[in-house]
Amino acid sequence: MEALNVVVNVAFVLEKQSFINLRLSAVPDSDPFTMPLFEGLSAGSEKSAVILDIGAAYSKVGFAGEFGPWAFVSSKVKLSKTKKEVFVWDYSSEEELFDILVEFFHLLYFKHLLVNPKDRRVVFCESILCPTQFRETVAKVLFKHYEVPSILFAPSHLLAMFTLGINTGLVLDAGFSETTVLPIYEGIPIIKGVQTVTVAAREIHRNLAALLQDQAVLITDGEEAPLASKMSSLPDTVIEDIKVRTCFVTNINRARLIQQSILQNDESKWPAVPSSVEYPLDGGSKLVVTGKVREVACEVLFEQDMEEKSVATTILDAILQCPLDMRIPLAQNLVLMGGTSMLPGFAHRLVDELKELLSKPQYKDRLAISSFKVHSPPSEANYTAWLGGSLFGAMEILSYRSLSREAYNQAGKVPDWCSLDDAVQEAEVVPKERSSMKQLEALRKLSLEKSSAGASPTPK
Amino acid sequence: MASLLQFEKVLMKCSCDIKSPIINLYFCKHCLKLRCGRCVSHEVDSYSCPNCLENMPSAEAKLKKNRCANCLDCPSCNHSLTTRATSVALTDSQSPDKKMTKKVYYLACGLCRWTSRDIGLGDKETASGGWEEHDNPHFERLNELLEFYHQLAIKEKNEREQKKFNKRRTYLRLQEKYFSPGGLATRRKASFLNALSSMAPKTDEPEITPVKLIEPKEEVDPLPSKYYTQPLVLEKVTTLAQRLNRPEFASSQVEGLYPRHKHLVIKRSQRCRECEHNLSKPEYNPSSIKFKIQLVALHHIPDVRIYLVPKLYQAKESIVTILLSNPSQEKMETELEAINEPPSTGLLTVPEGLLVLAAKDITAEFDEKTADTSEFKDNPEKKSSETSQGHIQFRSGHKLGVLFKVTPQTSDSDVVVCFKLKYKYHNTSPSLRTPVEDEEKPDAVWLEHEVEINLGATSP
Ligand SMILES: Nc1ncnc2c1ncn2[C@@H]1O[C@H](COP(=O)(O)OP(=O)(O)O)[C@@H](O)[C@H]1O
Ligand SMILES: [Zn+2]
Ligand SMILES: [Zn+2]
Ligand SMILES: [Zn+2]
Ligand SMILES: [Zn+2]
Repeated sequence: MEALNVVVNVAFVLEKQSFINLRLSAVPDSDPFTMPLFEGLSAGSEKSAVILDIGAAYSKVGFAGEFGPWAFVSSKVKLSKTKKEVFVWDYSSEEELFDILVEFFHLLYFKHLLVNPKDRRVVFCESILCPTQFRETVAKVLFKHYEVPSILFAPSHLLAMFTLGINTGLVLDAGFSETTVLPIYEGIPIIKGVQTVTVAAREIHRNLAALLQDQAVLITDGEEAPLASKMSSLPDTVIEDIKVRTCFVTNINRARLIQQSILQNDESKWPAVPSSVEYPLDGGSKLVVTGKVREVACEVLFEQDMEEKSVATTILDAILQCPLDMRIPLAQNLVLMGGTSMLPGFAHRLVDELKELLSKPQYKDRLAISSFKVHSPPSEANYTAWLGGSLFGAMEILSYRSLSREAYNQAGKVPDWCSLDDAVQEAEVVPKERSSMKQLEALRKLSLEKSSAGASPTPK
Repeated sequence: MASLLQFEKVLMKCSCDIKSPIINLYFCKHCLKLRCGRCVSHEVDSYSCPNCLENMPSAEAKLKKNRCANCLDCPSCNHSLTTRATSVALTDSQSPDKKMTKKVYYLACGLCRWTSRDIGLGDKETASGGWEEHDNPHFERLNELLEFYHQLAIKEKNEREQKKFNKRRTYLRLQEKYFSPGGLATRRKASFLNALSSMAPKTDEPEITPVKLIEPKEEVDPLPSKYYTQPLVLEKVTTLAQRLNRPEFASSQVEGLYPRHKHLVIKRSQRCRECEHNLSKPEYNPSSIKFKIQLVALHHIPDVRIYLVPKLYQAKESIVTILLSNPSQEKMETELEAINEPPSTGLLTVPEGLLVLAAKDITAEFDEKTADTSEFKDNPEKKSSETSQGHIQFRSGHKLGVLFKVTPQTSDSDVVVCFKLKYKYHNTSPSLRTPVEDEEKPDAVWLEHEVEINLGATSP
């Protein structure tokens, strides 16, 4: 009986996955009553689809039905026009983005995937906060320039659920520029619950760079000198490497002691400091990364900002936005993904922070939850969304759910996807609230503004 | 020599309006138009391994995930690994006195000195190795998921077919549905779909075996205490690039790094998007740098180069020598027309009338004197009464030095002049065009391209 329920539920996901379907409802071939335009193509021998996840820092690319991406590619490209290397997400106009994407996709198709774009459908994993302009330009480049047969724009958070075979969960994606949480209930994304903070890898890098500049010692030919006296900044790649190889997320008890020690300016409160490490730089000098720096660099994730938001509060705030009966199931089905969630100690600390926050006044009496459970997708967290895309893309129904080139050419743009709104409406999760789509648009704008208003605007 | 340095200085406008140096342009003999890397369609032509230069058919390349079966890369630095032979002493258990040696093989990197022995891979008895391959650690689970979604997809597909059969609508009716504004229709459609699917007969459908649910965990692994207490040995920790090389096996310890098969490279062919003819097609042999087809513009249209630029002063007329050369083996009539509008920043006067370029005589390439240029009486210098100044500087074989009068209109940016290059193109292989065209047109046509020359900065 239990088992049967699961089938029904997951079948329900699929049916409701028709939010993807509905989203593209202006597309003739997504109608259940017509011949799909691509029936010929979808018959049997179709070549596996290309799965693209264009991250702010790294893009993951590969093919449907594969269990891991074939390549992680830094999301930047050297433009042939200006000979400058630019980040894909670092564009100032649509024309510029168009040029960047033409060259970046060329790199992906002809250096990494080694297939002809024309021959394969595309599953494009995107953040739910992906700006409309970005999606439109991706469609324009892939359809008009590369003539791909179809694209499915699939929200990463939902794709993560596919890697687990579940349909209710609270998915947290901690990537490069932001951390975003989306509750999904019975296969339906609760747009109202979307939470985002611009705290993720970039913020850690910024903090680490500042700490090193402020405190680190450089050893050159046996002579010690403050880093700041020798170099005005370290390259971003070095900062990232130092983070990946030496930093970790400390446990909550130590974090509290460290906070006290800093607040009270009392060195003796600081717990026993981890070992320091000498990090070799180009040119033979060595940078001393102290145990303190290794331990506190990632603390920005859990420090509350001016609006009292942190990576941990996003989860509780998201749950708060959902109806009471959903809250326990959501809290019992946390899914963590994104490269930043791979930091050693991240998950453990996050759960401890959540538990502590539960006793705070703003959540205490309002949440009605007392424990959390965390899923482990069959992937490394930095490609969980991609893997979901791969599993979805391998299904024979991909053609029904995708936006075909013909439909795109007819409409001249990606048809309105207000249907996500419809999906929400339909399940009467948020009755009488027509504004969720507007909310989403507003959220997108907000997250854009925030990320551009941040201290250091873009990864360089 | 000069061409090496100045090819960015002379740009030609492609039929797609993008300006490129002539060396980057193709000339489609069928459409008689310029094409560039941006407006042709690129295709994968052949696959090969950059190390052993072995060709691979495309189906096999996909099967091997775009990697060479024979060559391996160093997991530490990505350099190609070499197989090293060595002898090991064997002791025979029966007769311990008898010394035996056996030849064994291991992998080594010539660059960073990594060896397969470092990670505890046993030596092999054959040179070709047969090094262990690894499956994704979640292989079984992922196959279960794939199978489960496959069944669901089949089910949905069948239901869809059934509905299509039962309820075929007229195109008009559908159109009205799709293009009617608002989501109402879609929503109704979707609920209709739900209703139908619950009633749909499910007699001969196979039961779907549900994928088993892996329970989320309440206990999350804490950060191992070694992070706080033990020294960090940086050399033992992998870099992010090393981890991302094999995303499915991302190991944070160097002991977990396994060699990777070498990534294949491709040769690309280029096709004209308008007429679908090949503009460039490389030879199949991976070590060949030749082409079966290569319609580069340089072979078909007159080349324009800067020959001599005197010091330029703002608002003062100067004479610039420009070299035109004829790529074809027939003489070529050309005509120039100045374009004195942006992006031009200098007032340009070009020679009027026909300029005839002598045929390119390949045999005379190294002996310019043999070229007979006496038939060209185009140098008005001799008729000084008509023009105050001649416009032909010199003639040498198929090259012609012409004089441009330039009056810079700027002092703070480079002087740019633009003109139309018109020339009579002789189609040397008329069979390429359709018979109809041949009847209407002779095998020579006037073509024109816009040229933009950057003459550099003005002197103060
Ligand atoms: N295997 C890993 N180990 C440690 N850190 C990682 C790993 N993979 C990614 N990261 C970190 O996560 C960040 C990017 O995560 P990702 O989810 O790829 O972001 P995005 O999709 O926004 O580009 C990077 O800045 C990187 O430092
Ligand atoms: Zn072009
Ligand atoms: Zn090889
Ligand atoms: Zn090496
Ligand atoms: Zn053509």
